[in-house]
This record gives sequence, C-alpha cells and structure tokens, in this order.
Amino acid sequence: MALRGLAGAGPSSHGPVDEVVAAVQEKDLPAVVAAPGEDEEIEGRSRGLLRWDGFSAWLHCVCVVGFDLELGQAVEVIYPQHSKLTDKEKTNICYLSFPDSNSGCLGDTQFCFRFRQSSGQRMSLHCLLDHFDKDLPVYLKKDPAYFYGYVYFRQVRDKTLKRGYFQKSLVLISKLPYIHFFHTVLKQIAPEYFEKSDPYLEAACNDVDRWPAPVPGKTLLLPIMGVVIKVRIPTCHDKPGTTQIVQLTQQPDTHISVVLPTVHEVDLFRCFCPVFFHSQMLWELVLLGEPLVVMAPSPSESSETVLALVSCISPLKYCSDFRPYFTIHDSEFKEYTTRTQAPPSVILGVTNPFFAKTLQHWPHIIRIGDLKPAGELPKQVKVKKLKNLKTLDSKPGVYTSYKPYLSRDEEIIKQLQKGVQQKRPSEAQSVILRRYFLELTQSFIIPLERYVASLMPLQKSISPWKSPPQLRQFLPEEFMKTLEKAGPQLTSIIKGDWIGLYRHFLKSPNFDGWFRTRWKEMTQKLEALHLEALCEEDLLLWIQKHTEVETVDLVLKLKNKLVQADRDHLPVKPDTMEKLRTHIDAIILALPEDLQGILLKTGKT
Amino acid sequence: MALRELKVCLLGDTGVGKSSIVWRFVEDSFDPNINPTIGASFMTKTVQYQTELHKFLIWDTAGQERFRALAPMYYRGSAAAIIVYDITKEETFSTLKNWVKELRQHGPPNIVVAIAGNKCDLTDVREVMERDAKDYADSIHAVFVETSAKNAININELFIEISRRIPSTDATPPSGGKGFKLRRQPSEPKRSCC
Repeated sequence: MALRGLAGAGPSSHGPVDEVVAAVQEKDLPAVVAAPGEDEEIEGRSRGLLRWDGFSAWLHCVCVVGFDLELGQAVEVIYPQHSKLTDKEKTNICYLSFPDSNSGCLGDTQFCFRFRQSSGQRMSLHCLLDHFDKDLPVYLKKDPAYFYGYVYFRQVRDKTLKRGYFQKSLVLISKLPYIHFFHTVLKQIAPEYFEKSDPYLEAACNDVDRWPAPVPGKTLLLPIMGVVIKVRIPTCHDKPGTTQIVQLTQQPDTHISVVLPTVHEVDLFRCFCPVFFHSQMLWELVLLGEPLVVMAPSPSESSETVLALVSCISPLKYCSDFRPYFTIHDSEFKEYTTRTQAPPSVILGVTNPFFAKTLQHWPHIIRIGDLKPAGELPKQVKVKKLKNLKTLDSKPGVYTSYKPYLSRDEEIIKQLQKGVQQKRPSEAQSVILRRYFLELTQSFIIPLERYVASLMPLQKSISPWKSPPQLRQFLPEEFMKTLEKAGPQLTSIIKGDWIGLYRHFLKSPNFDGWFRTRWKEMTQKLEALHLEALCEEDLLLWIQKHTEVETVDLVLKLKNKLVQADRDHLPVKPDTMEKLRTHIDAIILALPEDLQGILLKTGKT
Repeated sequence: MALRELKVCLLGDTGVGKSSIVWRFVEDSFDPNINPTIGASFMTKTVQYQTELHKFLIWDTAGQERFRALAPMYYRGSAAAIIVYDITKEETFSTLKNWVKELRQHGPPNIVVAIAGNKCDLTDVREVMERDAKDYADSIHAVFVETSAKNAININELFIEISRRIPSTDATPPSGGKGFKLRRQPSEPKRSCC
C-alpha cells in the first residue's frame, strides 16, 4: 500500500506549505482507485472510496460513546468501521470516556485518558510510520503499548430522553501524544457533531484522511470542517524551551484558520497553581518515578494535572506508565492498587472517592479542588501528613512524608507570586514556570550527559578490520566523582543534596529509560564510524592479500552491514552507503564467475 | 507583498463539476472519472492580485443531499462563494437559486458571490441560456461566467474576478464592481430562466 504524503516527507524536501498540501491532494485520486478497503467493497460503493492510510497516521479511530439504559456506557459508533479494537479495549474506552458519576460535569467537558493496547495485533502500518518518530523529541515519540483517548463529553438535560439527560462522548483514539492539538480539533468538531451526527463524522474523518503526514518540523495545514488548523510538530533538533510558533498571518478569524503555538503543551501554571509551593518537590517526585496519585473533582482537572506533571521533567522522558484519568473499571485497576506489593512507579489521575480508600497506602497524594483560572494562589505552604487524608473531601494540597533532596528555590516562587499580583496572563506564567523546570532538569542531566559521553571509545581505537570497540561501562561511583568539579552547581544556584538525588535517580525507571536511549545512540554511532572507516579502506588491495574464502566472507559481512545500517537508520555520512555498495560490487566482480552469480543473488530480497 | 488568506467555498448540485473547477484551477488538470466529494475537500492556491498575494483556501463542498446540513461550516467566514450549475441541467440552476437564498439568510454579510455555469463545452445539450443566467447574476450583483473545467475555459478568469471584487485591506474601495449586497437586496427578480 502506498503511503500518502511520504513524498513530501523526506528530509530533502523543504517546500512551502502549499506544496505539502498539494502533494497530498495530487496523489489522492489515483490512490483512491488503487486501494479499495474491504468495507467499501462490501458496501459495494463504486464512488467515494475512502483510503484510510492518511487517517491512520493521525488517528486509530473515532468512537462515539453513549449511555444505554440497559447496558450502561456503550460504544455506539466506531469510525472507520473497519478499525479494530478488542473487547477489552472497547470496555476501557467506554468507562474512560465518561466522568465518574460524582463529578457532575453538566454541559461540555474535555479531558484525555491513556490506556494499554491489547497485545499482539496490528503492527503493519505503525511500523511504516515509525520513521516520523525518529526526528521527534524523545518525550513525543509514540509508545507502541499505549493509546491516548481524547474526549469531548456533553451532558445536558433532555426531557425527551428516558434518562432525562443527553450524555454522549466523542472520542479520538490515537497513538500521538499531541494533547493540545487534539483538544483543539475536538473543540472544533464535537459541538457540531452532536447537532448533526453521522454525515458530519464521515466528512470529518474524510478530512483527516487527507491531512499531510504528521512530519515533525514542518508547518502543517490541517483542514477540518471548514477551518484550517496550522501546527508545527517539534523536532529533536529544536532548541529545548523554544516554541517555534508557526508564522501568524494577520487573520484572527477563527472561522477561517486557527494557529496553534504548540501541539502538546498544557497550561502548566494553571495546573500547578493549586500545589504551587510544592512545584519543585513534585518535580523531584516525577523525576524519581515515585508513585503519585492526583485526586481531582473531574477528569478534565485530573488529566491536565497528570499531563503537566509528566511534562515538567521535559526534555527528559517520563518512562513509567501514567494515566491522566483512571477509573475503578480500568483493566489495570487490580494491578495498580494491590496492597500485596509496593505501589508501582506510575502517576494516576482519579476522581472517584473510592480511590481515597483504595490508594491510602500510596506515599504521595495530590489533592486538587476546582482549577481556577489562575486568579489566586493557595496560602497553604506546608506539606500535609498522609494520615490526615481520609476521604476525597480532604483539603487540597500535597500529602506525603517525602523530604525533598534539594532546598526550595524561593526566587521562582516570588517571581510567580508577583505575576499573580500583577495579573500576568496564565500563558506568560506558564512560560516562566516551564523555563524554570527546564533549567532545573538540564542542570540535573548535563553532568550525566557529560559522563556518558566519556564512555565512548576514542576514534583512533576504531579499526575497520576488527569489530567496533565496546562502550565503557557506566560506573555510578566514577560518575559521582565527576560531580565535584562538573556537577549541577555549574548551572544551578539551588543548594541541597544533589548527590542523594542522583543516587536515587540512578535506581529509577526514568534513568533506565534515558540510559537505554543514550546507549543505543552511542552503539549506533560506533557502528556508523566503523562502517565509515571500512569504506575508506582499499578493499580491492585487501582481497589480493587474502584467500577466496576470506573474500566471500567479507562480502557477506558487508552485505549484512548494509542491511543493518538501513534498518537501524545508522547515523552515517550521506555517501557512505553508496560507497559501500560500490565496494561490494567491485569485490564481487574481482571473483570467479561462478561465485559472482551466487554472491549477486544472496542478500537480495 | 501582503499575503491575505481568503476562504472560498464552492456550492451547487451534485455532479455539476465543482471539484473539476478546483482541480483545473489548482492543478491545471482534468479527470472525467472523479469521485463524488465526501463532506468537502480542501485545496489552496496563491495568486498575485495587484500589490497583494491572495491565498485562496478553497473548500470544495459535497453536492450530495446528505451533506447539505454541513454547508454553513464552509461558507462561514468565506470571502467568496462560487455557486456552480451545469448548463445542460436546468434543475441545477434552480438549486443554485436556493443556495443564493441560503447565503442571503445565513451567509457572511459581505460575501462575494460568483456564479459559474459549468460544462459550457456541451452547448449541444444546453438547457440554461447564458442570457438568463447572466441577467439573474446581474440582478444580485454576482460575478457570472460560463466555464468549462474540461477545456480550461474561464477558470482563471473566475478567480481573477473574485480577487477584483474582494474589498482591499486598505480603506479605498476596489476598482472592480460592487460587492454583493445580500441583505439589502429587494425581492429577487421573478423570472423563469427557460
């Protein structure tokens, strides 16, 4: 199946936005004819065949969840009809798409959830799309095991209905963690959908199907139901902390276009506001992957707060599981709430009062009230004792017996407090808070980066005729020693037990995840350097000095390397692969004819 | 040079050639076996008009009845609406008049309306007289052209005329004709076209 939009997605193409859209449109028609989906054929339509590849790059499916008097919550519609969801996934979606009954939520509510994908299914297309992932910042990469659900829930009185209320959710299921973007899309389409139903959904999905692929680093024009959304997905090459806002034209008319300054960021300050004095402690808890639960009055607050927590250690990736909204019906409920084991390294957002009891044994609990539009700051400065948390009615605050390693930075608190007094807009406050977290995280991670970089063998130790040298081992004590001279004190004024924080961090899932990524990158870099060194050798001279068997062995090895380099996207210089191919061909031609035939065939698929 | 984004929507009966007009304008190509549009499709094209660049954000709506209720989303915020009929099918001209009525009631107040009588290459089977359509268009101050997406007749001209009618950003009135005054219109002239 041809993947639409790929042509415009290559690294060499930096065309203007129009071209991206045009590239998509251009290939539209022939492709429609080329790939009729099963369902369309069943329906026997000779027209309007939808191709779903473009759609799948953005969304897995769209669900409508309603309330059936006999069945309870039920998935009423899945779009496209051929999308596959297991029964378990459907059950999860049903429960996660409705607020808990105690939340109230009259009117329209937006929130987000995350759930585990049932194992062993549908890999094909996601594999194809994975190459978009490689230019993404690590914290935006897709997690193959999880889906996001973005919900627009409407609950209004309706006397004509037996239940007395109209209750329905429009839910977008996606692998992409672009919270703000999907929030905007739903806000754009859901209210109209509830008025107009089915043809509306068909048209909206069709719009998504024609979107250009979610390529990082380009300004994308995404038309949806009469409005064009303009976004730019960040890349791993962006300078952290800079938002490259897509170019604004003079038009503010939201009936025409909407420009999003970010695809993924939440309003950090608004979320941290209720627990504002503890921001730095919460950063430590998230960094260390401590079990953390957010108890909130509604799923919109729980999900925003959990996402804000997870993002506060950016550009580090939070590697444990997190559930912006978690219910007692969740398939992982037992696994996460069991008392027979220590609480898992996860962050949960909950609204059901039942959790106050179920999660009583958890070490860190954040209670938040209604999120206010950042008007006033809570006065409470002290951390609360866990034993004081009895029910969901307990007062807002952070309940923990955790003693932070670092002493609190009073400057940031003063700065933000001043902002509140001066009525500084929440977005500006968020920018300040985000920069503060970023500097803190970078101060923390730079010494680790520096040490890990030193584990790389010297360039001169790479020999083309030996396997690539090994990376040196990570030795915690050796690392700790580097901190005396090159620790976080170089970039941060914050005092405290940094060493203790590092020791704790080295045992956490976040360190594990970070280190694995670095290790893999460095191993690949070594492979790449090795490959480049091989290409610089005079291989024809080499074979003159070696036996035929050795030469054949060399050819096979080189062919293997080519395949591997291709598959793993090794960071080699652009012409290396071509050089290597030329080498291989030259060597083969120097061999006797019977061998040539065999060698030309091997390794070709 | 100033860049202006102009939302433009195409309205009209199914099969009159809305998508073909857009394809001819944007891609300069024609496909006789085009599929009916679902919802609406979207394309852009930027053209220069005097000292401005006009970037047309073109929403090509589905003509099929089941998508009828979605139309307001596409004409909402539009600077211009191109209503297309098929000169070989009289009923498509009646549908066009309904679109004019709808725009008058619910459309943006200063929307430029353009009427395109498409398939003018098929004069042998013509059902709508050019004169009648022109008179009707004049009576509502709409742009009028007969077009052929197939033979590339009057397609660029249609969009140039729209550019001309769109009020320029500075306060001076445009050099071209008057805007389409939907709300102040006296009753629509009663005339049968054929």
